[in-house]
Parts: sequence; C-alpha cells; structure tokens
Amino acid sequence: MANAQRIMTLYDVPMWESIERRKMALPRCSACGTFRYPPGPICAECNALDYEWAEVSGNGTILSWVVFHRQYFDDHPQPYNAIAVRLAEGPIVVSNLVGDEPDGSWIGERVTITYRRHLDRLQHAFTLQNQKSTQLNRGEDA
Amino acid sequence: MKPVGMIAKAASVIGIGQTDWPGDHARVRAAQKPHDSYGYAAQAFVGALADAGISRDQIDGLIVGPTTAYERVGELLGLDVRWGGQADAMLGVMEACMAIASGQAEVVALVYGNDQRSALVNYGGADAQGGGAFLSYVYHAPWGFTSQGALYALMARRYMEERGMSQAELGEVAVAQRMAAARNPAALMRKPITIDDYLASPFICEPLHIFDYCLINDGGVALIVAEAGKAERIGRAPVPIHGIARHDLNRGATSLEPRLTDYYQPAQKTVGEAVFNMASLGPQDMDALQIYDSFSLHIPLALEGYGYCKPGEAGKFMREHGISLARGLPVNTGGGHLSESYMQGWNHQIEAVRQVRGEAGERQVPDCRHVHYSSDVAGKAVSIIYGR
Ligand SMILES: [Zn+2]
Repeated sequence: MANAQRIMTLYDVPMWESIERRKMALPRCSACGTFRYPPGPICAECNALDYEWAEVSGNGTILSWVVFHRQYFDDHPQPYNAIAVRLAEGPIVVSNLVGDEPDGSWIGERVTITYRRHLDRLQHAFTLQNQKSTQLNRGEDA
Repeated sequence: MKPVGMIAKAASVIGIGQTDWPGDHARVRAAQKPHDSYGYAAQAFVGALADAGISRDQIDGLIVGPTTAYERVGELLGLDVRWGGQADAMLGVMEACMAIASGQAEVVALVYGNDQRSALVNYGGADAQGGGAFLSYVYHAPWGFTSQGALYALMARRYMEERGMSQAELGEVAVAQRMAAARNPAALMRKPITIDDYLASPFICEPLHIFDYCLINDGGVALIVAEAGKAERIGRAPVPIHGIARHDLNRGATSLEPRLTDYYQPAQKTVGEAVFNMASLGPQDMDALQIYDSFSLHIPLALEGYGYCKPGEAGKFMREHGISLARGLPVNTGGGHLSESYMQGWNHQIEAVRQVRGEAGERQVPDCRHVHYSSDVAGKAVSIIYGR
C-alpha cells in the first residue's frame, strides 16, 4: 500500500498553492465567468481560453456521500467518508466531511470549506454549516 | 419499417469462444498462473474458430482487447490482416461492424484475454488502473476517494434517495444474477443468495455491499464476426447484429457532473432512440438484456434509461416485475460480471449470441429472438442489438 497521490498538472499547481494559503481558488473564465474544476486550459462552456484565478466562497451543498469500509491507502484508515459538494460557484468537488455528521441523509446539507493538515500539505475538507456543537473536533486545523 | 443506417444487419456473429473461467479461477486462487493475457486470448480464439467451423485463412480483420498489444496477438495467432486495432468489447463489436459495412474487412476476429486476477491488478488505491483514460478514477485520491466502486457508491446513494429505490430493491440485481449463474456451468459464483444474505453482507464502499461488486478473475473471450451474406454461406448459426449506437458524455466527467445529476440516463435515451430506430425494434421486442455490470447499479439505471420502466420505477420494476430467469425481463442471463465472470463486457456479447442461438442450456430464455446489450462505463453509453 502507499499514500494517496495528488494529480499535479500545470493547472493544478496554482490551485494547491491557493489551498496552502487557506484561500482555495479556481480558474474563472474571463468571457463567461464559468469556474473550471479540475483546473484546465479552456472553458468547456464557451471555449474561451482566458481566465483568472478567483477564490471560491467555500459554501456548498452535499450532493452525495459514501463511507469507505476498506483501506486503499496508508494515509486513509477505514472507515472514512467522502462527499461530493456542489460549490456555490458551480463545480462539484469531492472532499471529506469533518466535525459533526447529519443524523439522517447528508444530501442537501449546507457545508463550508475548511482546511486541515494532511501529511506534508493542507487539504480542503467541509463542515456542516449547522454544527451541533461549537467545539472544534480534534484533528481539525481550521 | 426498413432498418436505418448501413451497419444494421451488415454483420453477424458466427463464432464464440471462452476460456475455462471457473477452472482457471480455482487454479489462480491456488497460487498457480495458468496463462497470461495472451494465453487466455489464444485459448478463446481457438475456441471461437472451432465454434464457427471456419479456417483461420478466412479471417481478414483483427480486434484485440485493451489488455493485449495488437501486433503481438496478431503475431501469436499468425494473422496477417487488412484491417484491425485495439478496442474494448462494445466498441470492438461496433468497429468490426463498421469495417465490414465499409468493405475494409469481411471476417473479423475479436480476441480478449486478461490475467487481471493473477497479475494482482488493482482498481483502487495508489496504483488504480484506468486513470490514463478516465481522470475521475484517480483525481479525487487525496481525499481517499478511489475505486470505481466508490464512484458507483456515490451515484447509488444519490439515485436511491432521489428516485426512491431501497437497498433491498437494489439487492434484486445480485440475487437475480446469482440465480442465473446457478444455472450456468461456466459461472464462478453459483451458490444462490437471498435478499437477506445481500443485506447482511459487508459494505465495501457504503451503500454498496460486496454483492454489488463485480468479480475479478482471469480469462478470455473471442468472437468471429462476418459480413452478413458471407455469414449465411459459411456460418453454422449466424446471429445478425441489428443495430449499434453510442453516445459519450464527457463534459464534467471528472467532477462527476453527468454521473450525479442525471445518472448518465440522457446518453442512454439518445442511444436507445438510435439503436431501436436502426433495428426497427423497441424495448417491447427485447427478450433479454445483457447490461455491463461492473456494479449492480448499472441495471436499474439502464432499465430506466432505455425505457423498460419509467424514471424512478426501476426499484419497483425489479421487485415486482422481476429481472430474473424465473420472472419478468431476464437480465444478465449468464450471471454477468457479478456472478459469471468479469470479462469487461466481452462475456455479455457471447451470452447474447448464445441466447439468440438457443444454446444456453438450463438458462435459456424461451423463444429468445432479440437481446439488447447496454453499457454505460464512465458515461460512454453503447447499445448493441443481437437478433435472429
Ligand atoms: Zn467561458
């Protein structure tokens, strides 16, 4: 087994640098304003090439979630969750929910971005906007 | 109505072959290495040629599966051809039909071999396969999100909640396909299971249980496809290909947009209209379905996507109408990837042919005239209709 690796294309590097600054940014189309995820060289909506890096609000809604009951990576002991979040800016990102978990379905829950240390880097994760308690969870680095 | 498009009924399957899936699986589990991918491909080819009853010299086209090199397979089989290439099962059949319809080849051998089990191929984790073709298979790994099973688990969770399908209803897939495998001497997993067995089985990536996942085993499959007229002259039991269609959803693929919003069903709707139009047939004419089932979820999605039931009713359809050999619309009559063999869509093709020929033994669908094959791997929807 091994640790999970990041995909690091030319266009991913600035995104991970922005995450390291706790201000996740994505390429935003200069022509139509569409955000690109994963970051890439062209707008899939209008095919404009120009873009600027724009910080995301960090607000989103959970589209779906899973719980892994098998270990695939050294750095992700099971069980652990993964969520698909629709960002307010449009794209869907896959991340982890940290802190309180909803009692029933997670779908539709509003979440906010946070940043936590993972190995040698910061990664994004999300927390419920309606936390049951105000106490920060252990391991949380927000 | 006249069939539409130049590949409708342009070609027929005249030969099918497969390796000893259960035997080789037992040998691999006993730490033996019966063959490599080329060895399995070679065995399946010899079987298909014998089944067709033709000589090797009549073959002028060659398709090999994604796990073997085209030239090396041709070299091993001694095949100099005028047309060929590498493709997965569904596109391989499509390309063979296109080559035949356009006069590039007359008799095409399609040959697949895969030693994925004995070679310890991983579909999740740091060395997960498929990332070169599908970025979504590897892009989300930093959050621990890996394996194609996880992609379908994420899709299943949302689908089940939005469309109202219960876990027990999803379990109908594994139960029905195991029933089919129990009647199939070439299947790996033949012990019948119940819905309760399914619900009590461990999760791999929740909400998917282990019975929702495909097997991983070694093996090979081959088909011989010939120009329809020639097939009538040289084949013992030609099975014409009535229609083929394809539609690929690429936009938003890595961020899972088409997977999580419409469950790939817009692609299936487009493909369904095209393939049924080409074949001058409709869903009501299909006597059995073969659905690419790396995971059980493919089955309810295809049932709705192709109009076998209304959107949101697949769970009810599977539970009340049925998808087994015992009742309703038989799906994956050999056991599919879940219980027969994980031959990445290739075993579904030969099962379709066998059903149309009426040679499926204990699992034969009575008076089987037409079989619909469907796959939607990573939002690339393909349908093939085999018929009399
Ligand atoms: Zn744009």
